[in-house]
Amino acid sequence: MGATMIGERVKRLEDPRLLTGEGGFVDDIQLPNTLHAAFLRSPHGNARIRGIDLSAARAAPGVVDAFSLSDGWPDAPPTIPVLAPVDGLLPCPQYLLARDQVRYVGEAVAVIVAESRDLAEDAMELAEVDYEPLPAIATMESGMASGAEVLHDTVPDNVAVRWTQGIGDVAEAFDGAAHVVSDTFRMQRYTGVPMEGRGTLATQDPVNGELTVWTSGQWPHTQRALTAALLGLEEKSIRVIQPEVGGGFGVKVELYPEDVLIPFAALRVGRPVKWIEDRREHMLTVVHAREMDIDLSVALEADGTIRGMRCRLLSDQGGYFRTLGTVNPSLAITSVPGPYRIENYEGEVVCVLTNKSPSSPYRGAGGPEAVFARERLFDMAAREIGMDPAAFREKNILPADAMPYDTGLVSVESTVVFDSGDFPAGLQRALDAIDYAGFRAEQARDREQGRLRGLGICVYTQMASVGPYESAEVRVDGGGKVAVVSGAAPQGQGTGTALAQVVADQLEVPLDQITVTFADTARIPFGVGTYASRNAVMAGSATLVASERVRDKAIAVAAHLLEASEADVEWHEGTARLKGVAEKSHTLAELAQAAGPGGNRPEGMEPGLEIRHYFETLDAPFAFGVHIAEVEVEPETGDVDIKRYVAFSDCGRLINPMIVEGQIVGGIAQGVGGALLEELVYDEDGQMLSANLADYQLPTSLDLPNVEISHEESPSPLNPLGAKGIGEGGAIAGHAVIANAVEDAIAHTGARVRETPLRPAAVWKLMQEAGAASS
Amino acid sequence: MDNERNIDVTVNGRSHSANVPARRRLSEFIRDDLGLTGTHVGCEHGVCGTCTVQLDGETVRSCLMFAVQADGAEIMTVEGLADGGALHPIQEAFWQEHGLQCGFCTPGILMTVHEFLLENKGPLEEEIRHALSGNLCRCTGYQNIVKAVETADRLWER
Ligand code: FES
Ligand code: FES
Repeated sequence: MGATMIGERVKRLEDPRLLTGEGGFVDDIQLPNTLHAAFLRSPHGNARIRGIDLSAARAAPGVVDAFSLSDGWPDAPPTIPVLAPVDGLLPCPQYLLARDQVRYVGEAVAVIVAESRDLAEDAMELAEVDYEPLPAIATMESGMASGAEVLHDTVPDNVAVRWTQGIGDVAEAFDGAAHVVSDTFRMQRYTGVPMEGRGTLATQDPVNGELTVWTSGQWPHTQRALTAALLGLEEKSIRVIQPEVGGGFGVKVELYPEDVLIPFAALRVGRPVKWIEDRREHMLTVVHAREMDIDLSVALEADGTIRGMRCRLLSDQGGYFRTLGTVNPSLAITSVPGPYRIENYEGEVVCVLTNKSPSSPYRGAGGPEAVFARERLFDMAAREIGMDPAAFREKNILPADAMPYDTGLVSVESTVVFDSGDFPAGLQRALDAIDYAGFRAEQARDREQGRLRGLGICVYTQMASVGPYESAEVRVDGGGKVAVVSGAAPQGQGTGTALAQVVADQLEVPLDQITVTFADTARIPFGVGTYASRNAVMAGSATLVASERVRDKAIAVAAHLLEASEADVEWHEGTARLKGVAEKSHTLAELAQAAGPGGNRPEGMEPGLEIRHYFETLDAPFAFGVHIAEVEVEPETGDVDIKRYVAFSDCGRLINPMIVEGQIVGGIAQGVGGALLEELVYDEDGQMLSANLADYQLPTSLDLPNVEISHEESPSPLNPLGAKGIGEGGAIAGHAVIANAVEDAIAHTGARVRETPLRPAAVWKLMQEAGAASS
Repeated sequence: MDNERNIDVTVNGRSHSANVPARRRLSEFIRDDLGLTGTHVGCEHGVCGTCTVQLDGETVRSCLMFAVQADGAEIMTVEGLADGGALHPIQEAFWQEHGLQCGFCTPGILMTVHEFLLENKGPLEEEIRHALSGNLCRCTGYQNIVKAVETADRLWER
């Protein structure tokens, strides 16, 4: 206990309820008299709406309400705001329901509310929408082609925004280079696909008029603010509660139309209304991510030293810019240089509109795309100049004495300044863990036997938290029990356990005396939420400061009760005692009672053994990692088998290594899924061909490796815990490292990996084409 | 349209008699009619395995069955695993090995593992991975789930 709780592999407090089926997810909340909503959605990728007739649907059995945008908002309908705009972004926002045009399959056109979901869906068949189909834009290339169909009048060339940013003198770096290596990389569209889809339940209290919304989200306070703004309500009349959430991975950090329409429907009908997304709706309408085409060039000295880089990045934004639509390209363009010394860099972003579900952050948010392109190009560059890929990275990686290192780049989220860490030592540790030299010798031998073994390296940095603040309240009740309330909004990360460890460390009380609750706007007035790997840093630091101050306050109360000076009182196993006099002590419960209103506390002290703290910062720490994977490619089929996977991470001080490792492995699973399997496929008419879990292939237990993990803990100077986030690192590195390993296995055939996913047929084709070209 | 039938089922040792519409899925019956919301629905088309329950001792996907098809059957759901306050050894093992994150897939996985371990003692990692391959988990990467099954195999006297 005490001072040892941080860094312990404590079993999670969340688990017993989840293991016994008692976790309360949004669909598990059953209110009497609830109605169920179904959404009428566009079957077209692009179409004008000439008319909507809901009269037959309204008359169908069990239907209580049915409305389109003009029914709900006869005058000026609101649009979903863009929260992180960049200069020059042309307006292309989405209405809550389609106004006079639909721009992706699945876009909501009308809402039907009935006594059951089945009845609502039956009625949907009676709704009539008169569509005039328009040519769909299925690729960025066709969207940018001259004479292309224009999706929004406000965006004449389907490019919603373009911008450039850079550092140093790139022209000079390329002019004087001994080698320039360039290539184009394409990452496919894929996304979070949590096992629980989205869902919302809303009800209005008939007595006080308060609207309560339960939602499977990641940022309840923001959702409350935006819901209030769009519905013209006061924030204080809305309570948003995020119950247990079955995974989010970033795709639930978004204000979706349904988030606002379900509360709106509940207000219209005066009864609770529930909507639980089905899997097809999820694939069609959840925010998508990753789809980028990246042109990347690196200028080198003769010895492989990097002189500069250039990047042009096309981001497929889908049909609209939604709440966080700018984040992926912004983080991607500023993630390209990464943990290397690159003093001359120029990046250009081009955001293209297409007839697909809008894109927005998913685990890594631009990081996986940029790191994939860079780490791919570096392998190609090393090969071209006849250098070992590990040696190429060793030559260019930032040395430990460069920290803190200001890249000079600024993303929409934060400045890119690496705060701490010894990158070369980390790279060496990962190379040692996989026995790099030993592998290379075996690889050459095995290749002669016809075995295609390959090894990929990925070195990355990750923005490991984001501001501007997070909240935590620590309160001790008269029984000595500690309640923590935070505005964070986790989705399975085990943050409750981590925060309890922070409190237990400070107050030296057993974990079972501590409860942690999250994500309820009625319990804490301000909160930000859980995304961008921010929980440990932001909620953890807020909790640390609050619990420190609770302890200080308890000591002040004890000094008062013991008639001693505070300096003579020490904290020991959850009690305050006179130094060296064990029997002169007070328990936490006694101190909480004395501190309470009407209690015996020092004059002038605010009553209550409770502190609410907002940890505020705009400076993000950066985590660092090196992943190395070994694969074997089956020559006859192109099937990729992952033989070993080594992950070294430095995410600052670890609160619970078990949870951190779970995050690393879980992130890698998603990166590997993207590298090998997953893809949201649209045909040329904008129809999705992967709208279920049979066609969209998530990795199974047969597809994923056992990850060998090691850590370094370079404390971050930017927060009192010294923590850095880790949630996204695996997803960032996992994609690139597999792509590099696959190319390494087949590079001798002349094959080059420029796009993913690397399903067997794709790998086989790469080998065939390379073989044909060389023979 | 809502053509109802009467069914008798035993769920976690308790018998129920109910009128259900012919089109009601077993998953809906368990969750909405019986209030046993530990059984989750992740895809409602038979791929993800989150809705897995045991029907007469064999795992089935409750999203792919109609409730009327379960007439006369004995059903076990995740709520039937723990013995009062005491976790089942499989649950203990998942807790110990950090075999879950969000916990949404977990009930279906526990049902699958229960059936698998009853039929297999001391399974190899490869066999465990095969047994789990019909249950999707998006959070864990399966590594700790595999470890949890190994631990459960040791903890569970059977
Ligand atoms: S919900 Fe039944 S298999 Fe997915
Ligand atoms: S623990 Fe979240 S899906 Fe398995």
